[in-house]
Amino acid sequence: MLFAKLKPLLILLIAFALYGCNEDLNPSDSDDRPNVQAGSVGHYVGQNSADFTILGTLGETINLADELLGHDAVVLYFTMWCPLCDTHMSSIRKSVKPLFPNVRFLVVDYVSGSTNQSRSVQFSNGYASETVIPDTEHVLLKQFDATMGSTIVINASGEILMNEDYKQSKIISVLEQ
Amino acid sequence: MNKLSLKFLFCGLLLFPLNIWAASCCGGGSASSLILPKLGTAMIDYSISYENYDGFWNTEGDHIDDPKGSDLNQYRMTLGFAYRLADRWQASIQVPYVWNKNEYTGIKSNTNGLGDSVVGFWYETFDDVKCIWKITNWKSLIPAVYVGSSLTIPTGKSAYSGEVNNSFDVTGRGSYRLDTHLFMEKTVYPWSLSLQMSYGKYLERPVNQEFGRAIEPYDKQLGDRISTSLSFGYTHFLESLSTLSFSTSISDLRERDGEIDGMKDPSVLGFKKQSFGLSASYSSPALDWIYKLSFNHALHGNGRGENFPTTDTINLGVSYVIR
Repeated sequence: MLFAKLKPLLILLIAFALYGCNEDLNPSDSDDRPNVQAGSVGHYVGQNSADFTILGTLGETINLADELLGHDAVVLYFTMWCPLCDTHMSSIRKSVKPLFPNVRFLVVDYVSGSTNQSRSVQFSNGYASETVIPDTEHVLLKQFDATMGSTIVINASGEILMNEDYKQSKIISVLEQ
Repeated sequence: MNKLSLKFLFCGLLLFPLNIWAASCCGGGSASSLILPKLGTAMIDYSISYENYDGFWNTEGDHIDDPKGSDLNQYRMTLGFAYRLADRWQASIQVPYVWNKNEYTGIKSNTNGLGDSVVGFWYETFDDVKCIWKITNWKSLIPAVYVGSSLTIPTGKSAYSGEVNNSFDVTGRGSYRLDTHLFMEKTVYPWSLSLQMSYGKYLERPVNQEFGRAIEPYDKQLGDRISTSLSFGYTHFLESLSTLSFSTSISDLRERDGEIDGMKDPSVLGFKKQSFGLSASYSSPALDWIYKLSFNHALHGNGRGENFPTTDTINLGVSYVIR
């Protein structure tokens, strides 16, 4: 009797839950990556990266083309100094960098509002030895359509080989190519 | 209302430990457990909570402060409903709505959305009263034991849902999780002691997009989750037969390392969090309305957690019990 009275409420709650229907409820394994034209400039894997010139937290000038001249590849990691970012950066420092001594690893800080702020958090979080780029104007964030944990690998030809969430196994296999 | 009814209604309701799950950047917003008191037929529960982020533990267990000038918060509103299926069986559903409000010196974000919902089933191993006024023999020491199971449904927006463009939009973890629960409580008025233990297993899922961008598909399996909470409480009966209850709890939450394509990967590293809680509740004389206020504080000390944010959470809730 009481259940009959309360049934509509239960149905309402379930309907409310299902209102949030999204692809997490029934995830897909299909490969939906777009076809890109080789040699075109953009942020997708297979495209070439646009060049950029930006200052690091220590005032050093970082130019992508120059970095690619002297290295096998450039890796950009986007951080917001959160626990997950710390885990990823720790993994890069301990397990990835030693395997690829001629790859340039750059940390992009897109949440600090100034170079001083970025340098301060870089040092207090224990990343003084890394090259950190304060992306205060979100130039790189927009260029690579990035967010927290985005990892961009650009080879010596300027081609983007990876642009997705950090995964240690993935970045190692990409850099080994 | 006689004393027996009062005891039945009261038991297991007010001292149930608050199981708070944090972290907007890691996909917070999941609801806590909901248990219907023994003589209740149904219960409607509504709560609002405010969670403030205050640094994090790194993978070494050292506590790290958030960047200066940052202010990271999550607000949650949770609607719950529990219903008695049979004398010893009950079911519940909880649906949270989440607001993420994050501010750094260089970026601000205000987003909201449905969190991950929880459907639960509980079995009560007892029929008679387990809350007692006086210990008379060894049988009176037998606790009330509840055994339960719950399914967390990824109704929130995760990085893989196709609905978010950046990490600030995330309101869920994106995976189904099946938990088994054990809850034991012994009340010898006015004191109570309870223990809750849960073991959860995430279901593996395929991922073919991250933050709205299609990527090379892979399989993601989050690590198993173990949570334990011990609570100690005191109940004060007011003259009107309404009750005031206070409790304190310590909780330990751990998640094991996850896997990408069947292999361990630091991108799905496990975590640990230890926290301390205080709660107070008031129950109306008819024991149909219960008002709850709780505070949960993550212990900042080094080694009290790993790879997880440290947060303070205030929760305000009201339950209406239908007999």
